[in-house]
Amino acid sequence: MMDKKTIVDNPIMVSAEHVGLVRHDRKGEVATILADISFSARRGEVTAIVGPSGGGKSSLIRLINRLDDPTSGKILLDKEDIMHLDPLALRQRVAMVLQKPFMFEGTVLSNLQRPFLFRKEPLPTAGSAAVHQVMELVRLSHDLLERDARTLSLGEQQRVNLARALITEPHVLLLDEPTSALDRPTGDQLAATFHDICTLQRLSVILVTHDLRMAGKIADYLIYLEGGRIREAGRPDDLLTNPTSLELRRFLAEPEDREGEYHA
Amino acid sequence: MHNQGVINLTLVNLALAYGLVLLATGLAYLLRVGEARQMLWASVRMGLQLLAVGYLLDTVFTINTPLPVVMILIVMAGFSLQVMGSRIRYKMPGFYRIMGSSIFIGCGAVTFLFCSLVVGYAPWYEPRYLIPLAGMIIGNSMNGASLAAERLAAEIRERREEIETAICLGATARQSSETAVRNAFRAALIPTINTMAAMGIVALPGMMTGQILSGTAPAVAVRYQIAIMCAITGAVAITAYLILLQGYRNYFTAAHQLRERQN
Repeated sequence: MMDKKTIVDNPIMVSAEHVGLVRHDRKGEVATILADISFSARRGEVTAIVGPSGGGKSSLIRLINRLDDPTSGKILLDKEDIMHLDPLALRQRVAMVLQKPFMFEGTVLSNLQRPFLFRKEPLPTAGSAAVHQVMELVRLSHDLLERDARTLSLGEQQRVNLARALITEPHVLLLDEPTSALDRPTGDQLAATFHDICTLQRLSVILVTHDLRMAGKIADYLIYLEGGRIREAGRPDDLLTNPTSLELRRFLAEPEDREGEYHA
Repeated sequence: MHNQGVINLTLVNLALAYGLVLLATGLAYLLRVGEARQMLWASVRMGLQLLAVGYLLDTVFTINTPLPVVMILIVMAGFSLQVMGSRIRYKMPGFYRIMGSSIFIGCGAVTFLFCSLVVGYAPWYEPRYLIPLAGMIIGNSMNGASLAAERLAAEIRERREEIETAICLGATARQSSETAVRNAFRAALIPTINTMAAMGIVALPGMMTGQILSGTAPAVAVRYQIAIMCAITGAVAITAYLILLQGYRNYFTAAHQLRERQN
């Protein structure tokens, strides 16, 4: 864990200012998904957004690479309003790994080449530095490159998923429940790589998870989200030992129960 | 073509034919199928509807001006749209606009080319040619169009993860829905391909047998059948392509975001 001074020195990469998200359901009724969300995520740090399911975590992270758009407020990437950026260019700078790893048909290598294919850029070869570096970062053996991606284990697929997001050298990496589809040991092993990736690549990692234990271990900054609002935010040490909000105290009191809920 | 070979059916002849329906109804009644009454009613409806259409067409043929012919084609297309609308459960956003314009352009272009270049009759609105040919082209395109729209909706629904993964990796809306569009196009064309492949072996097609019955030499009737099948294939492909081209966009925003599920 870093000391307070370095945290202050790290530049802000992403910041949300009074972000709100309202949805109309099929009956035309209005549901508030997110309300008045403001936070910053810094470069070289892991920012974890934690909370119970249905609390708006995934809805929030999806706004940062514009899979969805907020209904109020704004999100800045390196001080620029993301609504003023070309969405395709934005997604090159802000990569995202979804909960379930989707592997495109073909080899691991062809999956790593996909982002270049979409952008009509020259494809990196198996021997290229880019492929070599991401495989190392996610701790996958080079021998897997020619394997059919869909025959890999779920844990390996999630690593390929991560490598595929990192290969275009984004500035921000969004992780939406990256370990929830995996069993505990596999998930823990994967989670251990997040912080290395973050510091090695000088990335801003924003992680959404229901797993407080994991978040507490790897996050530099923790945001507790429940009912679409930020209830508490701060350094994990402070937050987990000295929770001030009623909501976080309740969540901390029964983490095991809640986890069962999420894995279902 | 000449009509000398056709024997006219009098109402007495028709009444005899209806005797066969009565026989069928009797059998259904005997076996307590329960559909006897519906069968009888359906056969009466068929008789009345067809007699009415025959009367209408007779009138249109004798008037022989463009307007009534065009009206009939518009009503045909309108009905086909309505049938599609009621048959398809998951309608894409902008369903009627997309389907209507695609059928209009796809069938219109193919019918025009076919009638003017392939058959080459004059005047262009000659009802004896235009109505049955356009009718077959519209009817088949309608089936292709429903299959394309239905399959596209299903593909996009089932491929949400794949599509959003691609978008996260920098794909455009079009790139991310490529597989969905390809599968929908294939689904639209498969019935037509199967029909072509089985033509003449498994079934003698309706138009050809109709022409032979009315005295056309089989060699000529066969050529018509080949030509119309080609036209149908073209119309189905163009209509489906136009639907998919406009259709996939409706599932995305301008910022290459997959919209929330609509139906």
